[in-house]
Amino acid sequence: MNRRKFLGLGVMALAALPATLSAFASIDFRATKPDAWKAKTVDDAIKALYGDIKPEEKGVTVKAPKVASNGGAVPVTIKSDIPAKTVAVFQNMDPESAVAVFNVPENGIVDYFLKMKLKATDENGGNGKITAILEGTDGKFYKGTVDLQVAKGGCEG
Amino acid sequence: MGNMKIKAKVKNDGIVGVKVLAKHDMLTYDQAKKKGKEANFITHITAKVGDTIVYDVSTSQFWSKNPQFKFKFKGAKKGDKLTITWTDLSGKTVTESKKIK
Repeated sequence: MNRRKFLGLGVMALAALPATLSAFASIDFRATKPDAWKAKTVDDAIKALYGDIKPEEKGVTVKAPKVASNGGAVPVTIKSDIPAKTVAVFQNMDPESAVAVFNVPENGIVDYFLKMKLKATDENGGNGKITAILEGTDGKFYKGTVDLQVAKGGCEG
Repeated sequence: MGNMKIKAKVKNDGIVGVKVLAKHDMLTYDQAKKKGKEANFITHITAKVGDTIVYDVSTSQFWSKNPQFKFKFKGAKKGDKLTITWTDLSGKTVTESKKIK
């Protein structure tokens, strides 16, 4: 009886995988930039997060209803085509300004939606504003804003 | 408490759209003071496909109660598992997974 030899198939090439898989790591900005979350004004919060920056006012779209009837859940969308490292969202209605800091992965798309709790704008002189700052992978900063009114506050609940 | 509803769908252009509803009281410091409770809210949300992070955000008390959020990303396909984890101020962590449709 002839035996078939399997030797030829024996050696499998082991592809040495480069150790570059998902170098992108999660960042807890509450831990790395604690002062940004305590700041009472948008300018102070931006300074605490990014330092003394001069953002260009272009390329970042912030969408929110002109008049939000329910401050408990105000829908807000932040969009941009600029390749981003981080995107931070602030508002001027609540006791502190920071709402979110996105750490943008390589495969991420800056098209974020979230619902915010905002105080009625009557308590803030009638001017509500949401500000988004985008830190580009080019090292520059970009800014987008939207003005809104909040009829009934959502922070009292 | 501790639940998350996730919808994840890949479109023809290869972009995955994700909608999430997280159950959390999101009690701000002011609200907590009035109610005589401890403030507690989600402070961080991370979404992954495999080991790859596709969404990573540090959050404040001003996300709405039972926060709803949406995001998009590239590089995943139908059938891949999307895993979302949130952490709150008390240190509690909740993780839920959903297959991308």
